[in-house]
Amino acid sequence: MKKLLLAMMVILTISISSVFAGGQSEETQAKEDENIVLEWWTWDADLKEKNQEIIAAYEEKHPNVTINNTIVSTKEYWTKIRILANQNKLPDVFTMSSSTLEEWAENGLVLELDSYIDSDNTREIFYPKLLDAVKDVSATDHYYALPFALVTTTLFYNKDAFDEAGLEYPNDDWTWDDFRSAAKKLTVDKDNDGTIDQYGYWFYGRYAHVEPWVYANGGSLLNHDTMRFEPDAAALEALEMLTDLVLVDKSAPTQKDMSSVRQQDVFPLEMAAMWTDGSWNINNNRLVADPSLNWGIAKIPTGPSTDNPITYAWADSYSIAPNTKHPQEAWEFTKYVAGEGLSLDMYLVGKIPSFKALTESDAFADPNQKPAEMYILKEQADSEMTTSFTKGWSEWRGYGAAESLGLNGLIDGVINGEMSLDEALTKGTNSINTVLARYYK
Amino acid sequence: MKNRKLLWHSRFAPWLFLLPTIIGLLVFRLIPIVWAFVLSFTQWSLLGSPNFVGLSNFIEAFNTEAFLQTFSNTIEFSLIYVVGSIIFGLFLAVLINIKIKSIAFFRAVIYLPVVTSAVAVGIVWNWILGPNIGLVHSILANLNITAPYWLGDPKLALTTVASVQVWKMAGYSMILFLSGLQGISAETLEAAIVDGASKVQRFFRITLPMLSPTVFFVLTVSIIDSFKNFELIYAMTKGGPQNSTNTLVYDVYLNAFVYYRVGYASAVAFVLLVFVGVLTLLNFYIKRHWAQPLE
Repeated sequence: MKKLLLAMMVILTISISSVFAGGQSEETQAKEDENIVLEWWTWDADLKEKNQEIIAAYEEKHPNVTINNTIVSTKEYWTKIRILANQNKLPDVFTMSSSTLEEWAENGLVLELDSYIDSDNTREIFYPKLLDAVKDVSATDHYYALPFALVTTTLFYNKDAFDEAGLEYPNDDWTWDDFRSAAKKLTVDKDNDGTIDQYGYWFYGRYAHVEPWVYANGGSLLNHDTMRFEPDAAALEALEMLTDLVLVDKSAPTQKDMSSVRQQDVFPLEMAAMWTDGSWNINNNRLVADPSLNWGIAKIPTGPSTDNPITYAWADSYSIAPNTKHPQEAWEFTKYVAGEGLSLDMYLVGKIPSFKALTESDAFADPNQKPAEMYILKEQADSEMTTSFTKGWSEWRGYGAAESLGLNGLIDGVINGEMSLDEALTKGTNSINTVLARYYK
Repeated sequence: MKNRKLLWHSRFAPWLFLLPTIIGLLVFRLIPIVWAFVLSFTQWSLLGSPNFVGLSNFIEAFNTEAFLQTFSNTIEFSLIYVVGSIIFGLFLAVLINIKIKSIAFFRAVIYLPVVTSAVAVGIVWNWILGPNIGLVHSILANLNITAPYWLGDPKLALTTVASVQVWKMAGYSMILFLSGLQGISAETLEAAIVDGASKVQRFFRITLPMLSPTVFFVLTVSIIDSFKNFELIYAMTKGGPQNSTNTLVYDVYLNAFVYYRVGYASAVAFVLLVFVGVLTLLNFYIKRHWAQPLE
């Protein structure tokens, strides 16, 4: 009898609590309808606090919206977010790279933004050229991402070294011959011990070191009709000019000679007087270079084969999950974090905001900081631009953990004296096209 | 009677205690292994669902020159590592198998690289071996010798990285050899001394034969270890120059997490698995026929 009583009490307790629990969950459901939660994924851990400021400001204006920011470091970001995509659990708003947008758009993993962009003032407050640059990398006629920052490639040069050699600073009229002869004059053995202390220029097979010259000569590494590796005459001319700096002029070092220095430190440590890489390196130059060192930036000299050089530049953007429950709210927030919500101190110096008001503000070019030529970045943002990304790019180009392989490895092989440029191109055509054929039938 | 009633679950009790381990083993090891085997017959970029492609990943691998080079790099790395860590480890063990003050300190110092992160070891050795500004370069330059490009020369890079791995792990085989050495009875050695055996004779005729079970154990352990070279290669050469230090584990990483060719990466992983499997069988065969302790 006692047992029966006990059992009945247990059943009663359970049923009562479940009724309450039911009521509670309905209540939270109602709350959720009012309160929209957006998941926002980014990869820059340095911006953790700034992101919270953005969220606080946004939530104040939109009391019904809650934003959750998740930061995953760049090394793991793509693996994690690909798995989320596979599970249909993409965050509502997430950082998108120019190198991956084509694949994501093709797989239907990013929301098409055409109607949103056309229905409000997006085209007025953001640089339209940048919007279109991101449309181009998607390889479609649609917008799948809203850029928040552009990076371009520039020629960094050591003004002190130029002064010492009695050379004029690079300007827009500089030809490749001017560049080559300056590089020779800037190559000096300061202590006469038989080893060069300052090279005129330096590069290795890295994309941001080589492609700027290809595009400044109006060339292309790929045949874009067939999507195969088929460098045209202008591209070959650029590759030849660069490799000749090492092999003929001796005004640039081999790749293996510079391998024990972080690549971004060679120029600020004054081991080379000129260098080409992404504009975000302005930040590292400021950190690493001797504060008294005078240095500047210039556009990549226009090659002999063209009158219309193209700027090698690419954007970082935000995309929206195609299955987001709140597309309109996600779009509003995307526009906010790509524009109005940002301040210049959230950009690595040298990255160019796509939001006009920021780039055109006086604070963009701090007159007390080097380089004095920040206006060049603005000019580049307004010029004709291209990127070099394709599907399978990191494999055929040799990027990141594969940096010593692919085209990067082959160019290194040429300047290290392991093979001729012709041999490298023959080898490259074979292996690169095997990769490209996997993605482009 | 009452006791027997409670005994009904005694058959399940051991399973209950084993359950956490079994679940862990299944979820984190066995199921992923089976799943990876299935994936090796597919093409999958993590986006979308895997496409079944039959044996084409394996066919592609064995028809690619770069893969065959990667395969032979793996074998070469293992050879250098296994031979190096046995000889170097034994050398260190003999060296410190003496009773002097603070010998424990030296043992700890030699063992230190084993517990140091491979990435840190790689970065430090990159500096030491670096061209122009590296320590080795400077020392050799003072002796009027031009240092080679340890990591920049495709003919040298693999040997260099494998040697750094030997340096890092030699402390481990040293400890194993040391315990073996200390198991050799002093009486046998004393008897040999009385018989007039030289130091060299004592080492090769007595110490080494009596160590053979330890040698076998170190051989087995270092063969297994020799395939775990990802971190050092990532920190030092990233598979280059010209693919010369790319090994199967590094290739698995590149294909899975850089190129997102998960199917192909799984196929490469299974080629490695089969290879390690064959070596292990060979090991057992050797153990049965050779490495018996001397009576």
